[in-house]
Amino acid sequence: MDRLDSMLLELKDTSEFMVDLAYSSLLYNNRDIAEEVINMEVKMDELGDEIQKSLLDMAQKNPESVMKAFVAFRLQIAIEDIANAAASIADVVLRGYASSPVIHMSIKESEWTIERATVSETSVLRDKTLGDMRLWSHCGMFVMAIKRGAQYIFRPDKWTALREGDVLIAVGPEESADYFIALADGSRKEF
Amino acid sequence: MNDDEHSDSNRMEATVRELLTEMKDASETIVDLAYASLMYNSKDIAEKVEEMDRDIDDMKFAIRTKILMAVRTKEDAREMTGVLQVASAADRISEAAGEIVKLLHVPKEERPFINEIINESDEKIMMTRISPKSDMAGNTIDQLAVEASTGTKIIAMKNRYGWIYNPDGDVKLRAGDDIIVNGSLDGFSRLKKFASGDLPWEFPEMEFAED
Repeated sequence: MDRLDSMLLELKDTSEFMVDLAYSSLLYNNRDIAEEVINMEVKMDELGDEIQKSLLDMAQKNPESVMKAFVAFRLQIAIEDIANAAASIADVVLRGYASSPVIHMSIKESEWTIERATVSETSVLRDKTLGDMRLWSHCGMFVMAIKRGAQYIFRPDKWTALREGDVLIAVGPEESADYFIALADGSRKEF
Repeated sequence: MNDDEHSDSNRMEATVRELLTEMKDASETIVDLAYASLMYNSKDIAEKVEEMDRDIDDMKFAIRTKILMAVRTKEDAREMTGVLQVASAADRISEAAGEIVKLLHVPKEERPFINEIINESDEKIMMTRISPKSDMAGNTIDQLAVEASTGTKIIAMKNRYGWIYNPDGDVKLRAGDDIIVNGSLDGFSRLKKFASGDLPWEFPEMEFAED
Protein backbone atom coordinates (compact mmCIF):
# COMPACT_ATOMS: atom_id res chain seq x y z
CA MET A 1 0.00 0.00 0.00
CA ASP A 2 1.50 3.34 -1.02
CA ARG A 3 1.56 6.52 1.02
CA LEU A 4 -1.53 7.95 -0.66
CA ASP A 5 -3.58 4.83 -0.01
CA SER A 6 -2.41 4.79 3.61
CA MET A 7 -3.57 8.38 4.03
CA LEU A 8 -6.98 7.51 2.55
CA LEU A 9 -7.19 4.51 4.87
CA GLU A 10 -6.43 6.69 7.88
CA LEU A 11 -9.07 9.15 6.70
CA LYS A 12 -11.70 6.40 6.32
CA ASP A 13 -11.01 4.72 9.67
CA THR A 14 -10.97 8.03 11.51
CA SER A 15 -14.25 9.17 9.96
CA GLU A 16 -16.04 6.03 11.15
CA PHE A 17 -14.51 6.27 14.59
CA MET A 18 -15.57 9.93 14.82
CA VAL A 19 -19.22 9.06 14.17
CA ASP A 20 -19.28 6.51 17.02
CA LEU A 21 -17.42 8.88 19.30
CA ALA A 22 -19.74 11.77 18.43
CA TYR A 23 -22.81 9.71 19.35
CA SER A 24 -21.13 8.76 22.66
CA SER A 25 -20.48 12.41 23.46
CA LEU A 26 -24.16 13.04 22.81
CA LEU A 27 -25.38 10.09 24.89
CA TYR A 28 -23.36 11.17 27.93
CA ASN A 29 -23.60 14.88 27.14
CA ASN A 30 -19.83 14.80 27.63
CA ARG A 31 -17.69 17.77 26.58
CA ASP A 32 -14.34 15.95 26.84
CA ILE A 33 -15.43 13.40 24.29
CA ALA A 34 -17.03 16.05 22.08
CA GLU A 35 -13.80 18.06 22.10
CA GLU A 36 -11.84 15.02 20.96
CA VAL A 37 -14.19 14.69 17.97
CA ILE A 38 -13.46 18.32 17.08
CA ASN A 39 -9.69 17.73 17.47
CA MET A 40 -9.95 14.80 15.10
CA GLU A 41 -11.88 16.93 12.63
CA VAL A 42 -9.00 19.43 12.57
CA LYS A 43 -6.53 16.60 11.83
CA MET A 44 -8.88 15.25 9.17
CA ASP A 45 -8.87 18.61 7.39
CA GLU A 46 -5.06 18.65 7.37
CA LEU A 47 -4.92 15.09 6.11
CA GLY A 48 -7.52 15.94 3.45
CA ASP A 49 -5.39 18.85 2.19
CA GLU A 50 -2.34 16.63 2.03
CA ILE A 51 -4.25 13.97 0.09
CA GLN A 52 -5.55 16.51 -2.42
CA LYS A 53 -2.07 17.93 -3.03
CA SER A 54 -0.64 14.43 -3.51
CA LEU A 55 -3.41 13.57 -5.96
CA LEU A 56 -2.82 16.69 -8.03
CA ASP A 57 0.89 16.03 -7.99
CA MET A 58 0.34 12.42 -9.05
CA ALA A 59 -2.01 13.38 -11.90
CA GLN A 60 0.39 16.01 -13.14
CA LYS A 61 3.36 13.65 -13.21
CA ASN A 62 1.47 10.75 -14.66
CA PRO A 63 -1.50 11.51 -16.91
CA GLU A 64 -2.56 7.85 -16.77
CA SER A 65 -3.36 8.26 -13.11
CA VAL A 66 -5.98 10.96 -13.71
CA MET A 67 -8.84 8.50 -13.25
CA LYS A 68 -7.44 7.27 -9.96
CA ALA A 69 -7.02 10.86 -8.83
CA PHE A 70 -10.63 11.57 -9.77
CA VAL A 71 -11.97 8.58 -7.83
CA ALA A 72 -9.78 9.29 -4.82
CA PHE A 73 -10.86 12.95 -4.82
CA ARG A 74 -14.53 11.99 -4.76
CA LEU A 75 -13.94 9.42 -2.03
CA GLN A 76 -11.93 11.88 0.06
CA ILE A 77 -14.70 14.49 -0.18
CA ALA A 78 -17.38 11.96 0.86
CA ILE A 79 -15.28 10.82 3.82
CA GLU A 80 -14.64 14.43 4.88
CA ASP A 81 -18.42 15.00 4.74
CA ILE A 82 -18.93 12.12 7.16
CA ALA A 83 -16.28 13.56 9.48
CA ASN A 84 -17.91 16.99 9.27
CA ALA A 85 -21.27 15.48 10.15
CA ALA A 86 -19.68 13.80 13.18
CA ALA A 87 -18.19 17.14 14.23
CA SER A 88 -21.58 18.81 13.88
CA ILE A 89 -23.01 16.21 16.28
CA ALA A 90 -20.24 16.93 18.80
CA ASP A 91 -21.01 20.61 18.36
CA VAL A 92 -24.50 20.02 19.80
CA VAL A 93 -22.79 18.97 23.04
CA LEU A 94 -20.24 21.80 23.07
CA ARG A 95 -22.94 24.42 22.54
CA GLY A 96 -25.06 22.97 25.33
CA TYR A 97 -27.94 21.69 23.21
CA ALA A 98 -27.65 18.01 24.14
CA SER A 99 -29.73 17.99 27.31
CA SER A 100 -32.90 16.71 25.65
CA PRO A 101 -34.14 13.33 26.92
CA VAL A 102 -35.28 12.69 23.34
CA ILE A 103 -31.65 12.66 22.18
CA HIS A 104 -30.57 10.46 25.06
CA MET A 105 -33.41 7.95 24.53
CA SER A 106 -33.05 7.77 20.77
CA ILE A 107 -29.40 6.75 21.09
CA LYS A 108 -30.22 4.29 23.88
CA GLU A 109 -32.80 2.61 21.64
CA SER A 110 -30.42 2.26 18.73
CA GLU A 111 -29.41 -1.20 17.41
CA TRP A 112 -25.87 -0.32 18.35
CA THR A 113 -25.65 0.40 22.03
CA ILE A 114 -23.00 2.52 23.69
CA GLU A 115 -22.04 1.26 27.14
CA ARG A 116 -19.82 2.36 29.98
CA ALA A 117 -18.23 -0.13 32.38
CA THR A 118 -15.66 0.22 35.15
CA VAL A 119 -12.86 -2.37 35.48
CA SER A 120 -13.05 -3.69 39.05
CA GLU A 121 -10.30 -5.17 41.20
CA THR A 122 -11.61 -8.69 40.51
CA SER A 123 -12.31 -8.21 36.79
CA VAL A 124 -10.78 -10.63 34.27
CA LEU A 125 -9.99 -7.58 32.15
CA ARG A 126 -7.69 -6.09 34.76
CA ASP A 127 -4.02 -5.91 33.71
CA LYS A 128 -4.85 -7.49 30.35
CA THR A 129 -4.35 -5.80 27.01
CA LEU A 130 -7.27 -5.20 24.65
CA GLY A 131 -5.46 -7.50 22.19
CA ASP A 132 -5.45 -10.32 24.79
CA MET A 133 -9.14 -9.95 25.54
CA ARG A 134 -10.35 -9.52 21.95
CA LEU A 135 -13.66 -8.14 23.18
CA TRP A 136 -14.65 -7.05 19.68
CA SER A 137 -14.56 -10.52 18.14
CA HIS A 138 -15.83 -12.26 21.28
CA CYS A 139 -18.84 -10.16 22.06
CA GLY A 140 -18.91 -7.42 19.45
CA MET A 141 -18.07 -4.65 21.91
CA PHE A 142 -15.53 -2.21 20.46
CA VAL A 143 -13.73 -0.09 23.07
CA MET A 144 -13.61 3.49 21.76
CA ALA A 145 -12.21 5.25 24.78
CA ILE A 146 -10.87 4.63 28.26
CA LYS A 147 -11.22 7.15 31.05
CA ARG A 148 -8.30 6.74 33.44
CA GLY A 149 -8.51 9.17 36.34
CA ALA A 150 -9.18 12.55 34.80
CA GLN A 151 -7.56 11.60 31.47
CA TYR A 152 -9.05 9.94 28.42
CA ILE A 153 -7.30 7.47 26.16
CA PHE A 154 -9.10 7.68 22.82
CA ARG A 155 -8.92 4.96 20.21
CA PRO A 156 -6.91 2.55 22.38
CA ASP A 157 -5.01 -0.13 20.43
CA LYS A 158 -4.47 -3.83 21.06
CA TRP A 159 -1.42 -3.12 23.22
CA THR A 160 -3.34 -0.89 25.62
CA ALA A 161 -3.46 -2.59 29.04
CA LEU A 162 -6.51 -2.10 31.22
CA ARG A 163 -6.16 -1.07 34.84
CA GLU A 164 -8.42 -1.28 37.83
CA GLY A 165 -10.70 1.76 37.88
CA ASP A 166 -10.55 2.32 34.12
CA VAL A 167 -13.90 3.36 32.69
CA LEU A 168 -14.36 1.72 29.29
CA ILE A 169 -16.67 3.27 26.72
CA ALA A 170 -17.61 0.74 24.08
CA VAL A 171 -20.02 0.41 21.18
CA GLY A 172 -21.64 -2.86 20.15
CA PRO A 173 -24.80 -4.96 19.89
CA GLU A 174 -27.27 -4.53 22.73
CA GLU A 175 -27.28 -8.30 23.45
CA SER A 176 -23.67 -7.96 24.62
CA ALA A 177 -24.12 -5.02 26.97
CA ASP A 178 -24.76 -7.06 30.15
CA TYR A 179 -21.99 -9.52 29.29
CA PHE A 180 -19.51 -6.68 28.77
CA ILE A 181 -20.47 -5.01 32.06
CA ALA A 182 -20.24 -8.36 33.90
CA LEU A 183 -16.70 -8.94 32.57
CA ALA A 184 -15.68 -5.49 33.77
CA ASP A 185 -17.29 -5.60 37.21
CA GLY A 186 -15.85 -9.06 37.90
CA SER A 187 -19.15 -10.96 38.16
CA ARG A 188 -18.28 -12.98 35.07
CA LYS A 189 -14.93 -14.77 35.03
CA GLU A 190 -14.71 -16.51 31.68
CA PHE A 191 -15.63 -15.67 28.10
CA MET B 1 -50.54 23.25 29.93
CA ASN B 2 -53.67 21.06 30.07
CA ASP B 3 -53.69 17.26 29.94
CA ASP B 4 -54.51 17.08 26.24
CA GLU B 5 -51.55 19.19 25.37
CA HIS B 6 -49.41 17.04 27.63
CA SER B 7 -50.32 13.84 25.84
CA ASP B 8 -49.88 15.55 22.46
CA SER B 9 -46.43 16.57 23.45
CA ASN B 10 -45.65 13.05 24.73
CA ARG B 11 -46.80 11.60 21.42
CA MET B 12 -44.66 14.09 19.55
CA GLU B 13 -41.66 13.12 21.66
CA ALA B 14 -42.20 9.42 21.00
CA THR B 15 -42.46 9.96 17.24
CA VAL B 16 -39.42 12.22 17.14
CA ARG B 17 -37.44 9.74 19.22
CA GLU B 18 -38.35 6.85 16.92
CA LEU B 19 -37.49 8.86 13.82
CA LEU B 20 -34.15 9.94 15.25
CA THR B 21 -33.24 6.36 16.27
CA GLU B 22 -34.14 5.13 12.81
CA MET B 23 -32.11 7.89 11.15
CA LYS B 24 -29.10 7.16 13.33
CA ASP B 25 -29.19 3.42 12.63
CA ALA B 26 -29.83 3.90 8.93
CA SER B 27 -27.03 6.46 8.60
CA GLU B 28 -24.55 3.95 10.01
CA THR B 29 -25.73 1.00 7.92
CA ILE B 30 -25.83 3.02 4.71
CA VAL B 31 -22.09 3.81 4.88
CA ASP B 32 -21.23 0.12 5.31
CA LEU B 33 -23.48 -0.75 2.38
CA ALA B 34 -21.93 1.97 0.23
CA TYR B 35 -18.45 0.52 0.73
CA ALA B 36 -19.83 -2.99 0.16
CA SER B 37 -21.30 -1.92 -3.19
CA LEU B 38 -17.85 -0.80 -4.38
CA MET B 39 -16.14 -3.83 -2.89
CA TYR B 40 -18.42 -6.29 -4.70
CA ASN B 41 -19.11 -4.03 -7.67
CA SER B 42 -22.81 -4.43 -6.94
CA LYS B 43 -25.47 -2.27 -8.59
CA ASP B 44 -28.12 -3.94 -6.41
CA ILE B 45 -26.45 -2.75 -3.22
CA ALA B 46 -25.91 0.70 -4.73
CA GLU B 47 -29.62 0.96 -5.55
CA LYS B 48 -30.45 0.06 -1.96
CA VAL B 49 -28.12 2.82 -0.79
CA GLU B 50 -29.91 5.33 -3.04
CA GLU B 51 -33.27 4.17 -1.71
CA MET B 52 -32.13 4.47 1.91
CA ASP B 53 -30.70 7.90 1.18
CA ARG B 54 -34.15 9.00 -0.07
CA ASP B 55 -35.85 7.44 2.99
CA ILE B 56 -33.52 9.28 5.35
CA ASP B 57 -34.27 12.49 3.48
CA ASP B 58 -38.00 11.87 3.99
CA MET B 59 -37.43 11.22 7.68
CA LYS B 60 -35.50 14.47 8.01
CA PHE B 61 -38.48 16.42 6.64
CA ALA B 62 -40.92 14.43 8.82
CA ILE B 63 -38.92 15.13 11.98
CA ARG B 64 -38.73 18.86 11.18
CA THR B 65 -42.49 19.08 10.66
CA LYS B 66 -43.26 17.18 13.88
CA ILE B 67 -40.97 19.38 15.89
CA LEU B 68 -42.11 22.69 14.44
CA MET B 69 -45.74 21.79 15.08
CA ALA B 70 -45.15 20.86 18.68
CA VAL B 71 -42.64 23.30 20.09
CA ARG B 72 -44.27 25.76 22.48
CA THR B 73 -41.73 27.00 24.96
CA LYS B 74 -38.25 28.42 24.72
CA GLU B 75 -36.95 25.40 26.59
CA ASP B 76 -38.61 23.02 24.08
CA ALA B 77 -37.08 24.98 21.26
CA ARG B 78 -33.60 24.70 22.73
CA GLU B 79 -33.88 20.95 23.22
CA MET B 80 -35.34 20.39 19.77
CA THR B 81 -32.62 22.49 18.09
CA GLY B 82 -30.17 19.81 19.23
CA VAL B 83 -32.41 17.07 17.86
CA LEU B 84 -32.68 18.82 14.48
CA GLN B 85 -28.91 19.22 14.28
CA VAL B 86 -28.40 15.49 14.89
CA ALA B 87 -31.06 14.64 12.28
CA SER B 88 -29.28 16.85 9.75
CA ALA B 89 -25.96 15.18 10.55
CA ALA B 90 -27.48 11.72 9.95
CA ASP B 91 -28.82 13.01 6.64
CA ARG B 92 -25.40 14.39 5.66
CA ILE B 93 -23.83 11.01 6.39
CA SER B 94 -26.36 9.28 4.17
CA GLU B 95 -25.73 11.80 1.39
CA ALA B 96 -22.02 11.02 1.64
CA ALA B 97 -22.89 7.33 1.24
CA GLY B 98 -24.88 8.30 -1.86
CA GLU B 99 -21.78 10.03 -3.22
CA ILE B 100 -19.63 6.96 -2.52
CA VAL B 101 -21.89 4.65 -4.57
CA LYS B 102 -21.70 7.04 -7.53
CA LEU B 103 -18.11 5.81 -7.92
CA LEU B 104 -19.62 2.55 -9.15
CA HIS B 105 -19.97 4.28 -12.55
CA VAL B 106 -16.20 4.23 -12.78
CA PRO B 107 -15.09 0.84 -14.19
CA LYS B 108 -13.75 -1.32 -11.41
CA GLU B 109 -10.34 -1.66 -13.10
CA GLU B 110 -9.90 2.06 -12.43
CA ARG B 111 -10.49 1.78 -8.68
CA PRO B 112 -8.67 -1.30 -7.32
CA PHE B 113 -7.17 0.84 -4.55
CA ILE B 114 -10.60 1.26 -2.94
CA ASN B 115 -10.87 -2.46 -2.26
CA GLU B 116 -7.36 -2.45 -0.83
CA ILE B 117 -8.32 0.37 1.53
CA ILE B 118 -11.50 -1.41 2.64
CA ASN B 119 -9.50 -4.62 3.18
CA GLU B 120 -7.02 -2.76 5.39
CA SER B 121 -9.65 -0.88 7.40
CA ASP B 122 -10.30 -1.45 11.11
CA GLU B 123 -13.82 -2.48 10.17
CA LYS B 124 -13.63 -4.87 7.26
CA ILE B 125 -16.32 -5.99 4.84
CA MET B 126 -16.34 -9.64 3.96
CA MET B 127 -18.59 -12.25 2.37
CA THR B 128 -19.10 -15.90 3.16
CA ARG B 129 -21.58 -18.69 2.34
CA ILE B 130 -23.61 -20.79 4.80
CA SER B 131 -22.76 -24.46 4.24
CA PRO B 132 -25.39 -27.21 4.68
CA LYS B 133 -23.05 -28.56 7.41
CA SER B 134 -23.21 -25.30 9.37
CA ASP B 135 -25.15 -24.99 12.63
CA MET B 136 -26.12 -21.53 11.48
CA ALA B 137 -28.43 -22.95 8.78
CA GLY B 138 -32.05 -23.02 9.94
CA ASN B 139 -31.58 -20.44 12.70
CA THR B 140 -32.55 -16.79 12.79
CA ILE B 141 -29.99 -14.02 13.19
CA ASP B 142 -31.41 -13.31 16.66
CA GLN B 143 -31.23 -16.96 17.77
CA LEU B 144 -27.59 -17.01 16.74
CA ALA B 145 -26.89 -13.53 18.13
CA VAL B 146 -24.38 -13.19 15.28
CA GLU B 147 -23.07 -9.77 16.32
CA ALA B 148 -22.69 -10.67 19.98
CA SER B 149 -20.99 -14.00 19.18
CA THR B 150 -18.57 -12.92 16.48
CA GLY B 151 -18.41 -9.14 16.53
CA THR B 152 -19.51 -9.13 12.90
CA LYS B 153 -22.76 -7.63 11.69
CA ILE B 154 -24.69 -8.95 8.69
CA ILE B 155 -25.23 -5.87 6.54
CA ALA B 156 -26.65 -7.70 3.53
CA MET B 157 -27.47 -11.24 2.46
CA LYS B 158 -28.52 -13.04 -0.67
CA ASN B 159 -30.85 -16.03 -0.42
CA ARG B 160 -32.93 -17.85 -3.01
CA TYR B 161 -35.46 -14.98 -3.04
CA GLY B 162 -32.91 -12.26 -3.67
CA TRP B 163 -31.08 -9.62 -1.66
CA ILE B 164 -31.99 -8.51 1.85
CA TYR B 165 -30.28 -5.45 3.26
CA ASN B 166 -29.70 -4.78 6.94
CA PRO B 167 -31.73 -7.93 7.70
CA ASP B 168 -33.92 -8.00 10.83
CA GLY B 169 -33.21 -10.41 13.66
CA ASP B 170 -36.07 -12.71 12.70
CA VAL B 171 -34.58 -13.48 9.27
CA LYS B 172 -33.63 -17.15 9.04
CA LEU B 173 -30.30 -18.18 7.54
CA ARG B 174 -30.34 -21.16 5.22
CA ALA B 175 -27.74 -23.35 3.56
CA GLY B 176 -26.47 -21.66 0.42
CA ASP B 177 -27.19 -18.10 1.61
CA ASP B 178 -24.40 -15.59 1.04
CA ILE B 179 -23.89 -13.14 3.85
CA ILE B 180 -21.96 -9.88 3.72
CA VAL B 181 -20.72 -8.77 7.12
CA ASN B 182 -18.65 -5.99 8.56
CA GLY B 183 -16.45 -6.32 11.60
CA SER B 184 -12.96 -7.34 12.66
CA LEU B 185 -10.82 -9.82 10.71
CA ASP B 186 -10.56 -11.93 13.83
CA GLY B 187 -14.34 -12.06 14.20
CA PHE B 188 -14.71 -12.91 10.53
CA SER B 189 -12.28 -15.84 10.80
CA ARG B 190 -14.50 -17.29 13.54
CA LEU B 191 -17.67 -16.59 11.58
CA LYS B 192 -16.22 -18.32 8.51
CA LYS B 193 -15.53 -21.47 10.53
CA PHE B 194 -19.09 -21.44 11.86
CA ALA B 195 -20.51 -20.81 8.37
CA SER B 196 -18.52 -23.65 6.81
CA GLY B 197 -19.49 -26.02 9.59
CA ASP B 198 -15.87 -26.47 10.76
CA LEU B 199 -16.83 -25.14 14.20
CA PRO B 200 -20.07 -25.89 16.08
CA TRP B 201 -22.00 -22.70 16.85
CA GLU B 202 -21.77 -21.59 20.46
CA PHE B 203 -25.34 -20.57 21.22
CA PRO B 204 -25.56 -17.55 23.52
CA GLU B 205 -26.30 -18.30 27.17
CA MET B 206 -29.77 -17.29 28.16
CA GLU B 207 -28.71 -15.95 31.57
CA PHE B 208 -27.35 -12.89 29.85
CA ALA B 209 -30.33 -12.42 27.56
CA GLU B 210 -32.68 -9.54 28.24
CA ASP B 211 -35.45 -10.39 30.68
